[in-house]
Amino acid sequence: MDLQAFNQRILPVQGRLFRMAMLFLRSRVEAEDAMQDVLLRLWTNREQLENYNSLEALAVKMIRNVCLDKLKSHNKQKMTHEELPDVQTGDASPYQQTEQADSNQLIHRLIGELPDQQKLVLHLRDVEEYSFEEIEEFTGLSINNIRVILSRARLKLRENYVKENDYESGY
Amino acid sequence: MNQDIEKLLEKYYDGETTLEEEKDLRRFFLGGNVPVELKSHATQFGYFESAKEQQPSMGFNSKLAAKLDPPKSGPVRRFTSWVTRIAAGLALLLVGFGGGWIYFRMQPGSPEVAHILGDTSSEIKKVLAFEQMPVTSASDRIQAVNQSLEFGEGDREITQLLINTLNFDPNINVRLAACEALIYFENEPEVSEALIQSLGIQTDPNLQITLIEALVTLKEKRAVDQFQQIAANQDILDIVRLKAREGLGRLVTEEKSST
Repeated sequence: MDLQAFNQRILPVQGRLFRMAMLFLRSRVEAEDAMQDVLLRLWTNREQLENYNSLEALAVKMIRNVCLDKLKSHNKQKMTHEELPDVQTGDASPYQQTEQADSNQLIHRLIGELPDQQKLVLHLRDVEEYSFEEIEEFTGLSINNIRVILSRARLKLRENYVKENDYESGY
Repeated sequence: MNQDIEKLLEKYYDGETTLEEEKDLRRFFLGGNVPVELKSHATQFGYFESAKEQQPSMGFNSKLAAKLDPPKSGPVRRFTSWVTRIAAGLALLLVGFGGGWIYFRMQPGSPEVAHILGDTSSEIKKVLAFEQMPVTSASDRIQAVNQSLEFGEGDREITQLLINTLNFDPNINVRLAACEALIYFENEPEVSEALIQSLGIQTDPNLQITLIEALVTLKEKRAVDQFQQIAANQDILDIVRLKAREGLGRLVTEEKSST
């Protein structure tokens, strides 16, 4: 496989890998670092790539592992490193756009606070729109398990969001 | 409609919706006319939609490509060993010298300066000979003229050649050189005669002045007539005429003081 063919196969997946890495590492620099790590590993093992039927599944699995490793290795720094979006909560912005941006940041933070597994499944399903079969392949979890985790993640996100926003009428 | 959505939402939070149903939900909540009681659900769908657009920074791919594709610089890098560097340097030197040598050998036509240096007056004659003029270059002829200063003393043939050069060479610099060379041979009888004659022929002011100065230093009284002609000629440059008058004055006073 030459570089061109490699790029052809990996480019469409790149955005997804990056977002996965962002999900765990929450820092653009570190996410790109992790991604580079994964792509380099894929490139050095390019001879064996033909044996895998889905390069995407392999890459997703790898990026997850790399991210979790990174988190483990500097767990203590995790909180300080986190790129907190400059939150300007409270004061209702006159513009809907900024309002949406503010609540996006809130959701972003709330997803970040979910347990890793819930975070991952929610991200794969609701952001990347993978089918349950694909998520099963990436994570090694059974479909039923995935449904349960997904349900928990969605409910938890909802619950926290309502709590934060202090809506009168809950779900 | 709203009841459908509420049902779908319930399924969604149970993790039971299909991708198709989730698309419907997303379309509904991003659509804009969301009833107030459902508004709080809209935010997360908005977030999911915007999160999809996150991309690695622009420079990432070029950086990555540089990392993935280092073997291309391989052959160049191998050159960094100092042994190969020295070898390459020597090879270049050899090519340079060889090229120069071949270039030197390839030019048989033009008379070479090195040749003249090591050779006798016959070479000088060859270069200065009138028929050779179109073939030789001006600098070659100047070299030959200068060379004649060393070998030419007492050789009348060379003196004659120099006089010819002084009078007929197309290049002013060669004529000047010949003029200066002739001044060295002042004790040969025909030299001062030739200078006076030449003064009548030359039109270049530079050479005229050189000739006048030469004749004055030679104290050549026979030049007086020629000087007077120049001083009287309106066509000749003022500075030359001034020089001629000055030379005339000096020749005359010297004549007086000697008598």
